[in-house]
Amino acid sequence: MDRRLFIKLAASTAAMSAVPAVGAALAADPIKVGVLLPQSGPGGLFGPSCENATNLAVAEINGAGGILGRMIEPIFADVGGPPSDANQAALKLWKGEKVDAFIGMHDSAVRGALTNLFKGQVPYIYTPVYEGGECAAGTYVLGETPAQQLEPVIPWMAANKGASKWYLIGNDYNWPRDTNTAAKGYIEASGGTIVGEEYLPFTADNFDSNLAKIKSSGADAVLITLVGGASVGFNRAFASFGLPDSVVRLGTLIEENTLAGIGAENSKNLYSSAGYFAAIDTPAATAFSKAYHGKFGADAAALNTLGESCYEGMKLLQALAEKAGSLDVADLENAADGTSYDGPRGRATMSERHVSRDVFLAEADGAGFKVVEVFPAVSAGKNCQ
Amino acid sequence: MDLILTNGMNLVYAVATLALIALGLAVVFGLLGVMNMAHGEFVMLGAFSVYVTQEAGLPILAAVPLALGVCGIVGYCVEWSIVRHLYSRPFDTLLATWGLSILMRKIVEVSFGRDYKSIDQVLPGTVDLFGIAYPSYRLVLLAVIAGFFGLLFIWYRRSNTGARIKAMVSNPPLAAAVGIDTARLARMTFVFGVCTAGLAGVALAPLVRVEPYMGIDYLLSSFFILVVGGLGSLEGLLIGSTVIGGTDAVISTLFAKTSGYMAVLLISILFLWLRPDGLFSRR
Repeated sequence: MDRRLFIKLAASTAAMSAVPAVGAALAADPIKVGVLLPQSGPGGLFGPSCENATNLAVAEINGAGGILGRMIEPIFADVGGPPSDANQAALKLWKGEKVDAFIGMHDSAVRGALTNLFKGQVPYIYTPVYEGGECAAGTYVLGETPAQQLEPVIPWMAANKGASKWYLIGNDYNWPRDTNTAAKGYIEASGGTIVGEEYLPFTADNFDSNLAKIKSSGADAVLITLVGGASVGFNRAFASFGLPDSVVRLGTLIEENTLAGIGAENSKNLYSSAGYFAAIDTPAATAFSKAYHGKFGADAAALNTLGESCYEGMKLLQALAEKAGSLDVADLENAADGTSYDGPRGRATMSERHVSRDVFLAEADGAGFKVVEVFPAVSAGKNCQ
Repeated sequence: MDLILTNGMNLVYAVATLALIALGLAVVFGLLGVMNMAHGEFVMLGAFSVYVTQEAGLPILAAVPLALGVCGIVGYCVEWSIVRHLYSRPFDTLLATWGLSILMRKIVEVSFGRDYKSIDQVLPGTVDLFGIAYPSYRLVLLAVIAGFFGLLFIWYRRSNTGARIKAMVSNPPLAAAVGIDTARLARMTFVFGVCTAGLAGVALAPLVRVEPYMGIDYLLSSFFILVVGGLGSLEGLLIGSTVIGGTDAVISTLFAKTSGYMAVLLISILFLWLRPDGLFSRR
């Protein structure tokens, strides 16, 4: 292609893509939604699926007339760095771009910083799996809490897999520690005991000492709250020692990417508990996955509970705003309890700024998941002290 | 008894793999004075070579020539274009190779994606070793590493090239004056260093997570080993690996993994402070 032709083509493409933006501006002002997701850092793996899922939700909502008659305009910002950087990014969107609401899919440290920044003045929907306990006004939480992921699942593991002697292993920060605090109650209630508990720094890449301890503790079940690369490394080493034959593994953040890294050969007797799996075969979930891959291609970033939660975030914003009739935090607060919507995960119903919803227990089947049990409408537990 | 044997084998394995990983950095840093911040990325290239050969349906051994080829070519180009201009400026090499490491990660991320790549197990299953079940691939790997270091030790002691490298390291102008092509020798030393990093990546790929950002861990542990062991000798490398790997393994077993990592950091800081030349120094 010669240079002149290239410039002409580029110019005409730019002109065409500008047309819809002009058209939309003529209608009512769009609702600007700041979408905070990790595009860098350890969480960066989940940025692309979250961004896709957000764009899919926006396209669907706008195609059906928007929220309160206004189109949605998502503005993405990277919050993969430390909380102070995330604060700056959010502040820029809030005061600079004048966004009307925030949707965030990031770690809890960033959430703490943001709730302090927002102080309930702008609606903020927090979507990923988390440790529970968020109670700030104007902050609406969609993610699975330990109560949802473990309260029904641990008795199931005890009854169906004979899990009675549990070893708890996680990375050293608040999500694994709080998850395990909750887990201990459920394990004791199911008649089981804790035979070991250990937290690893994020830098750990050799798990031999942990595996030796697990083996000598006589554990028949391991609860894994390691995240990302640490979970991949641990599970691979776990399998190489032949432990899966005698010890069952349950993880609360083993999603599709992590399982792909663990690999089909190393995933025997591995279970994961979450609100969403790409393998859920309900009509709503199948339609969602079809639309996702239809829009972004068959090899788009793999669907997983974190990425999909960004789609749910937009759906919840719609449900809340339409029930309240505005995007004002005061109106949303009055309307929030009892708000419900139907998404790929099934029906979500809000109470105490959290949602009760179905929880899925999946068994790794090679490099994919197979849902083995659905626990319907599980409550997020008590989160406001 | 079983527990002692398991922990003992784990210790040997940790020391051997650490030494293998750190070898490339020891060569490049110890002999050329280049703090190669992209060391871990060459390990990553080696691991991705395994991924590429696996996707092509080839056995893992086919990844060895691929990794050598890729790391060799990249290393040669990097030395020629960047590193050779900076040999007398250690801090500048650090910055330049740091930039290079970011570039390498991003190129791999763009080409292969950010997600974890699963490498098939090689020799899956365990072997009964005096009553404990130990992964077969690890045992083979231990033997290969031991053999490799043995050969390297003899070669460096006995060969002409080894003698020339030693001459270049101790007095570059004099080495050049007696007819040693030090520029070429330095380039080959650099290429050799990054190729061993690539080989370490191949060897470890079936055991670890494989993704574009995996290299950073390996750079850190290699650096600690060199701090403790000192620069410029294979003995120092092995001592450093033993101290770092041993501390981590023993403290992690007795207490917790976090304590193990903290002990490694403490030892590294103490060495930098009190014995900056390490245990085995050629200076």
